[in-house]
Amino acid sequence: MEIVDLSTLPDEDAQYDEFLKQVCEKYEMDHAAYAGINPAAGSIHGHVTYSDEWKVHYQEHGLHLIDPTLHRAQRSIAPVDWSRLERGKDFQRVFSDAHDFGIPDQGVTIPVRGPYGDIGLLSATRNCSPEEWKKLIGNVITDLQSLAVHIHDNVMSSDTVSRMLYQPSLSNRELEILQWSAAGKSQQDIGDILSISHRTVEVHLRSARRKLNALTTPQAVGRAIGIGLIYPG
Amino acid sequence: MILVVDGLNRHQFRDVLDDMFRLRARVFGGRLGWDVKIENGREIDEFDHLDPAYVIGLDDGGNVVAAVRALQTTGSHMLADVFSAIMDGQAPIRSATLWESTRFCVDTNRLTRSKGKNSVSYATCELMIGSLEYARSAGISDIITVIDPVMDRVLKRSNCAPYDYVGRTVPMGKVSALAALLDCTEERISAVREFAGIHGDVFIAKQTALELLNSKISTKHLPANQDRKPITDLERYFLEQLNASNTDSERQDVFRLVTALATGFSAERKTALLRNPRAFVHEA
Repeated sequence: MEIVDLSTLPDEDAQYDEFLKQVCEKYEMDHAAYAGINPAAGSIHGHVTYSDEWKVHYQEHGLHLIDPTLHRAQRSIAPVDWSRLERGKDFQRVFSDAHDFGIPDQGVTIPVRGPYGDIGLLSATRNCSPEEWKKLIGNVITDLQSLAVHIHDNVMSSDTVSRMLYQPSLSNRELEILQWSAAGKSQQDIGDILSISHRTVEVHLRSARRKLNALTTPQAVGRAIGIGLIYPG
Repeated sequence: MILVVDGLNRHQFRDVLDDMFRLRARVFGGRLGWDVKIENGREIDEFDHLDPAYVIGLDDGGNVVAAVRALQTTGSHMLADVFSAIMDGQAPIRSATLWESTRFCVDTNRLTRSKGKNSVSYATCELMIGSLEYARSAGISDIITVIDPVMDRVLKRSNCAPYDYVGRTVPMGKVSALAALLDCTEERISAVREFAGIHGDVFIAKQTALELLNSKISTKHLPANQDRKPITDLERYFLEQLNASNTDSERQDVFRLVTALATGFSAERKTALLRNPRAFVHEA
C-alpha cells in the first residue's frame, strides 16, 4: 500500500496541508479538511485544501460557529455522510455559500474521539454522481478512518502538554508481537508461535501501530526500539 | 427491524431510548446482577453521555426487543475505563478500525423461546447482523465485545463464534464477563444470516421508524375513557397497579385482574383498558 504518512513530510503546518492534498489525490477527492479540538491545550486546529478565498470567507462570516459538518458530525461514532445532516438553517447557510465557491454538498465527515476528550474531524468532498460517490466511499472508508486518527493523533501531540499525555501505553501482548515482528516473523508465524489467530495478531498490531502513531509495522518496530519498549531484532 | 440511534438523531427517538434503558435495567441489574446504577427503573451510565451509537431491535409494534451500544476504541470506552479488570492491568486495544460493543441484551419477557420472528433467537441474530453491517459500512473491521458466558454460547450457536478472546474472564454479579473479538466480514454476516434465515435488509428507514412509533403513541393516547364518566375507585386501583408494575408478567397479572373484576364495565371500556391502559393513566 502506498502510504500517506505525516512523518515523511516537511515540518509543522505545511505538513498537514500536504497530507490532506495527498489524501485527496490517493482517494479521488476534490477537497479534504481537518479540524481538531484539544481541550487539554485549549487549542483548535484547522487545515484545509480549500481555496484561500473560501478560507477567508468562512472565517470572516464565522461559518465555523454553525458548520454542521463540525458541530453535528462529532456526535456520531461512524463517518457521517453529509446527506444525513438535517437541511436546517445552518446547513443552508454554510452550503449555499460553499456552492458559490464551487464546493459541493456531497461529502463525508469522519469523527475521531481521543482519550482526553479531544475531537478530530476529517472531511472529504467530491463532485460526482451519487452512485459514484457511494461506490467510492465504500471502497475507501476503512483507509479514511485510519488516516483520520493518524492526522488527529499527530496534531494532538504537536504541543508539549499533549505530547506528555500521549505516552504510548502498550500491552504485553502488543510488545510481544512487535518483538517477534522485529525478529522478522510474519503475522502468520507469530500467530503460530503464540497460538492465537493471525487476525488477533493483526488487531494487536493495528493497536500498537496506532499507539506509536505509525502507519506501517516496520515504522512501529523502529519507534518501539527507539523509545526502548522492545529490543532490536 | 434494526434502528441505529446516535447523537445525531436521538432527539427523535427519546421513547425508544427510554424503553432500551428500562430493558437494560431488567437485564443487567436484574437477571445478570451486575453492579450497575439504576435510577427510575432505567440503567444509564457515564458512557451513555458520550454520544455512543445504539443498535436497537424493534418488533412490528415498535417495541424495543434487543439493543447494544457501540463506542470508538480511540477515545473513552468501557474496557479502557471500567472493565480494566478484564484487561488484567494491560493497556486496552486502541485502533481506528476497532469498535467496542457493550450492553448487548434481548427482552426475554417479550420474546418467545420458539423459532420464528418473535423469538429470542431471531432478535439476537437480527441485532448481530445489524451491528456487524453498521460497523462494516463505517469502515470498521473488527469489534471487541464485552459479554457474559451465556452470550458467548449464543454467539457460538448462531454461527457467529468469536475468533479470539482478549484478557481474562472476571466475575461480575451473578455471572462473569469476558471480552471477545468478532470480525465484521461478509463471511461472518452471511453465516449468521444463513443460521437465522434472515435474508433481506434488516434496517428500518428513519422515516418508517418515526411513522411506526407515532402510530404507537397515537394508540397510546386514544381517548380510552370513552364514556367520559369519572374514573371509579376500581379503575383507579387498576391504574395504580399498572403504574406500579415493572415487568410484563406483573402487567399481565393486572390485566387478569381487570378481566376478572371489571364485570360492571362496558365491553368497549374493558377492551380499551386492556388494550392501552396508559391512555387511562394519561387521563386519570
